[in-house]
Amino acid sequence: MIPEVGGGAAFAALALAVWGAVAAAVGGRTGRVALVESAQHAALAVFVLVTACFALLTYAFLAFDFSVRYVATNTNLGTPFYYRITGVWGALEGSIILWTWMLALFTLLVILRHRESARELYPWVLTVMLAVIGFFLLVMTVAAPPFERLTPAPANGRGLNPLLEDTGMITHPVALYLGFTGLTVPFAFALAALIAGRVGDAWITMTRRWTIVAWYFLSLGLLIGGWWSYHVLGWGGYWAWDPVENAAFMPWLTATAFLHSVMIQERRRMLKLWNIALVILTFGLTLFGTFLTRSGVIASVHAFTQGTIGILFLSFLAVVLLTALGLLAWRWDALRAQGELDSIVSRESAFLLNNVLLVAATFTVFFGTVFPLLSEAARGVKVSVGAPFFNQVNVPLFLSLVFLMGVGPLIAWRRASPDNLRRNFVLPVAAGVLAAAAFFTLGVRSALALLALALTVFVAGTIAVDVVRATRARLRMGERVLPALGGLLLRHNRRYGGFVVHLGILIITLGVTGSHAWSVQTETTLRRGEAAELAGYRVRFDGLTATEESNHFKVAGTFTVSNGRVVGVLRPAKKFYPQEQSPIAYVDYRLGLKEDVYLVLGDFARDGSQATVKVQVNRLVSWIWIGGLVLTLGTLLAILPERKKAA
Amino acid sequence: MRAGHAAAAALVLAAALLAAPPAWLPAQPPARPVSEQAVHDIAAQLRCVVCQNLSVADSPSEMANQMRAIVRERLQAGESPAEVVQYFVDRYGEWILLSPRRRGFNWLVWLGPVVAVAAGLAIVAVLLWRWTRRARREAASPAAPSVDATMSERIRREMEAEP
Repeated sequence: MIPEVGGGAAFAALALAVWGAVAAAVGGRTGRVALVESAQHAALAVFVLVTACFALLTYAFLAFDFSVRYVATNTNLGTPFYYRITGVWGALEGSIILWTWMLALFTLLVILRHRESARELYPWVLTVMLAVIGFFLLVMTVAAPPFERLTPAPANGRGLNPLLEDTGMITHPVALYLGFTGLTVPFAFALAALIAGRVGDAWITMTRRWTIVAWYFLSLGLLIGGWWSYHVLGWGGYWAWDPVENAAFMPWLTATAFLHSVMIQERRRMLKLWNIALVILTFGLTLFGTFLTRSGVIASVHAFTQGTIGILFLSFLAVVLLTALGLLAWRWDALRAQGELDSIVSRESAFLLNNVLLVAATFTVFFGTVFPLLSEAARGVKVSVGAPFFNQVNVPLFLSLVFLMGVGPLIAWRRASPDNLRRNFVLPVAAGVLAAAAFFTLGVRSALALLALALTVFVAGTIAVDVVRATRARLRMGERVLPALGGLLLRHNRRYGGFVVHLGILIITLGVTGSHAWSVQTETTLRRGEAAELAGYRVRFDGLTATEESNHFKVAGTFTVSNGRVVGVLRPAKKFYPQEQSPIAYVDYRLGLKEDVYLVLGDFARDGSQATVKVQVNRLVSWIWIGGLVLTLGTLLAILPERKKAA
Repeated sequence: MRAGHAAAAALVLAAALLAAPPAWLPAQPPARPVSEQAVHDIAAQLRCVVCQNLSVADSPSEMANQMRAIVRERLQAGESPAEVVQYFVDRYGEWILLSPRRRGFNWLVWLGPVVAVAAGLAIVAVLLWRWTRRARREAASPAAPSVDATMSERIRREMEAEP
């Protein structure tokens, strides 16, 4: 009974979303307020209904209702309580519900926040948001019905993909989806601006915080994904340039470009067309990413025709892009504006270059990700485009972006005088060069690592120069150091929030550089009592233990790690799930600021007399996660309500 | 539930038995010394055939383990890195390479990004050139420009602006 209620709720929500979208559009066109209000009510009802779907599916998971196909495929009687909840969005059907629910939530928040303030845009924003929700509800009812029955109901389910049994499964998809769905808000405002013919700066001012928040959740989702990859997948890395990762990374890149290019529009009234195009591109990429990862097209060009989901997403993407292009053409005259610059040496140029590089990187990731499909379709030959390709092509782009991160915020708007350049950049450049020289003397020989380190120090130097100068100015006014610094951060929270985010990115760059340049690993077979040595660590094998968990069988090795003194006892394991053909690696590690010791258990003798272990000493990886925290602080600072400037 | 655990135990046993032999048979005396780094460098170019998207060097899977062993053996037997890579390409096809070879159709994927960056830079260069035209002109003639020149410039700009 309950599954039928859930299915019914989805259909009702679909009908209401369609009604709401149409009513808001007609209301916007004719100015009939009652219709817009009706659309608001529809949005509220959609939210309630999707929440009900979500709750009912969760209930089916908790109650082990294996008569529901989705529950039977993604859980079994042994699945722990916690993972029965996260299992709700562990696969396609449930993640579509989560996605739709977040969209509905964002729609409500937009209604609450912009009902009064976004006068002319508001009905159209509602239309776009509800239309997007309608599409996802269509997917939910037609292509991926979560409440579909399975007859006869099995006595036990298949069980969740064991790799998803991790705390990262609650935070990673939630953060990522908040990012994806959040980006729908600026998209809706951009389309509304086009439809209403108000392509000025209002939509950009209103969506600034929305975009930053969405961008932040996307960043967080990517970082948590990296952490999940690092501590669950057991290959010692955090980013594999997997199509799924690329799908989430592309909108991040274009959203980052957008966050920067809007500043030119706010300041100089330029790039109206470009900004709208970037938002549309970003939203299109979130759809494309979902298409890519959910249609099976990645496995083979021919796979996606098997389900309806790929075709649905592709059609919707086409509709979105064609509508957007049509609107752009319609408003062409209002969007076209002759730009006017005083000098090529200016902040405007730096931002334009930033956009070129970010969009080029997006294209690179896009092209590399779809190239195997292209090759299969054109030549009938399957090729792989993986990490070595992406690293080789993207690293120069990213390093150039790091460089611009130092230049952009300090170079003057309009025209940078020689004096401006001297005051801002002489010290940081010198610091960067000195840092490179220092690291070279310390024995760093990789040109790439030296360049990355020099650039990192240069950018950090520019931030320091700015903060010190601004604080000094306040000290001269008679403030003390801490209040001066705090006042600076709060009074100019946008600027300094941006700096803190940049600092976070720098710290992440440091972690990525370090882990690529200096990580070491070895793989050996040890008898009990024997030890392997790597980078000053001794890893002694002390034996095996086997335990039965609720839904799997676990064989763990005991290894004592020491470097002069005992660092700790690590227990990497293999987990054997009845529903999986091969065992799942369970890594164990000691994290440190300088390096992580990371153990992966390989083969073992059943009597516990010997085991193969992969020992990795991964350098500076922790700084990637620390960078994520700094990024969080920076984002919080940037979205604080701006203070009125007191005299 | 019992049945499930028995099955799991049987799986463990099977896995252990299957996995057991190659790992701790006494290794053949190597024909020539091969550094782990050399093995790693080759393995990093190869795709682990049973994994999502991991290289043979990174993957913790049994399959990758065996592929690394093959790389090591072939290097020890005196093959060059290129020959070892070719051995895998012959067996699995181009798909085994994580980075497409720079030849034929594959040039597309290598040149695509270069073209994208070049095109982007060209567009920005043209825009910057056009947008700074007035500033350059003013800088060139700091004295008050004659009405005629300003006028003709404006006319010219407006004419250019029309499609």
